[in-house]
Amino acid sequence: MKVPNILRLVYRNILVNVDPGSMMILVGLPGLYLIFFGYGFQALGSGGTGGASYLAYLTPGIMAFQSVMAGTTGGSMLWADRRWGMLSQLLMGPYTRLQYLLGIMLTSLLFGLVGALVMLGIAIALLSVVPVGLGPLAVMLGTITLGSIFFGALMLLLSALVKSNTAYNSIQIMLIFVVNFASTVFYPLSRGLPLPLQVLFRINPLTYIADAVRGAYLGNFTATDGLQLVVLAVETVVALFLATRAYLRSDVSFE
Amino acid sequence: MSAPPGPDVIPLASGPATPVIVANDLRYTYDRRHYALDGVSFRVHRGEVFGLLGRNGAGKSTLIKAMTTLIRPTSGTLTVLGFDPARDGARIRERIGVVQQGESFDFTTVQGNLDIYGVLWGLPKPERVRRRELLLERFGLGEVRRKRAFDLSGGQKRRVQVAREFMHDMDVLFLDEPTVGLDVIMRRTLLDSVRDEVRRGLTVVFTTHNLEEADYLCDRVAVIDEGKILMQDTLENLKRLYGGKKTVDLTVAGADPAAFYRRLGERLGPRVSLTAQGTTAVLLTDDTKTALSEIAELARSLGVQLEWLNVRTNTLEDVFLRSVGHREDRG
Repeated sequence: MKVPNILRLVYRNILVNVDPGSMMILVGLPGLYLIFFGYGFQALGSGGTGGASYLAYLTPGIMAFQSVMAGTTGGSMLWADRRWGMLSQLLMGPYTRLQYLLGIMLTSLLFGLVGALVMLGIAIALLSVVPVGLGPLAVMLGTITLGSIFFGALMLLLSALVKSNTAYNSIQIMLIFVVNFASTVFYPLSRGLPLPLQVLFRINPLTYIADAVRGAYLGNFTATDGLQLVVLAVETVVALFLATRAYLRSDVSFE
Repeated sequence: MSAPPGPDVIPLASGPATPVIVANDLRYTYDRRHYALDGVSFRVHRGEVFGLLGRNGAGKSTLIKAMTTLIRPTSGTLTVLGFDPARDGARIRERIGVVQQGESFDFTTVQGNLDIYGVLWGLPKPERVRRRELLLERFGLGEVRRKRAFDLSGGQKRRVQVAREFMHDMDVLFLDEPTVGLDVIMRRTLLDSVRDEVRRGLTVVFTTHNLEEADYLCDRVAVIDEGKILMQDTLENLKRLYGGKKTVDLTVAGADPAAFYRRLGERLGPRVSLTAQGTTAVLLTDDTKTALSEIAELARSLGVQLEWLNVRTNTLEDVFLRSVGHREDRG
């Protein structure tokens, strides 16, 4: 039986990217956030978390954060393939550009979902967070899927447009920081924040993802969460379109 | 989904004279003003090694990119294995192999790189392992199989890139400067491996700066410069380009070498090509005996000393230098 091209590419991406360094960034970093922030801020009480413990508040936030990590993984894969000559090598092989792009998106999505489940596992095993039912879990993973595609497209767009390795890494680190901390991943939106930061919180797609995942996890998924997901879906389509166009037009040449 | 092969598609078992690559008046421009390819036409036949010779920036790699579907020519027609790269790129890529000029590795071991390539080309595991072991041995990579490809020396990396390409079957192999960084023994091993594959029916398009290895490997060559093909033919025909002429290298010492060479040119006439610079000159002649006696007689009469005199058969390097050199003279 012939394995479809995209699955072969996904398999290859996993083989190449499952190394201790990448895993440390992909799973270790969010895991450490979960443990350190979870224990560290638990003592502050549950103000603004809707009555949930801080650990119960943080766990779905960190799971949502995996969609950002998935996106950066996808961008890094494309960047590394271009940097090390494998992009042009693959595109002179039995693959189309679109198949290559889908291969990366699927791999990063897979990393995002597995990462989210690992975070949930850590929270349940080490931090005594209450397990979640299958229905809410499906909503959480569906939201993370959408978020992973959005951030994957965003990072692919970035890696298609930025030509310097240093610039790419700097932008990526800055983006992760801003997206991460100007969202409801770690703490709720405070009315005490300066207005520009409040706006940043409200337009940050990670806020939509974190709110929806948290809503499903805590059993208080609201119509606002649903509306935010619709907005996120539209943004994802736009990001995908832009990323695909930029990538298909980008130079993959070798010398 | 692409259409099934039509009558123009080159089947695997075509005869040796069947053209597998046909280019007519190919042009490629980056900016609508400068042409990286400027009216290139050629044919590559099944089972031959076709060499592309040229300086850096001559257009060799651009041509390879066009044939391997990475770029689309601005105008002209191109078919590879009977397919148009613009429409049926995927069908071409299924039947070609490419060794790029630059490095291209997955961030894993040598063995891992070969394995992954086997996966990418859809080889079943037993066949993947069989080929991997064969290639590791053939290219002398057994001892470094567990090293990361990026940690290897330049020559070892090159061997991995070439070995990896033989993990899959193909009809046409594009080799873009494959021997850069290889020592003499490994270079010969690589060229012999390519020759073995050619005997089994593989067609090879080969770019190189090394004219000795082009001489060793290629059936036909094309000299390309500034995006134009200056000449293309079999090696034998190119070497007979000047009607079987031989090259005489000459160095003299004396009062006025320029006057000596001017008089020599007048005495030898238009059938001998003479290029002089300072005390040295290169003559192309089909009558070596007459040329040598004229040189000796004139040197005696003008009191000029012959410091160095060498007669040799034309090499591919002579052909290359003359074709590119003539172009510069005109420019």
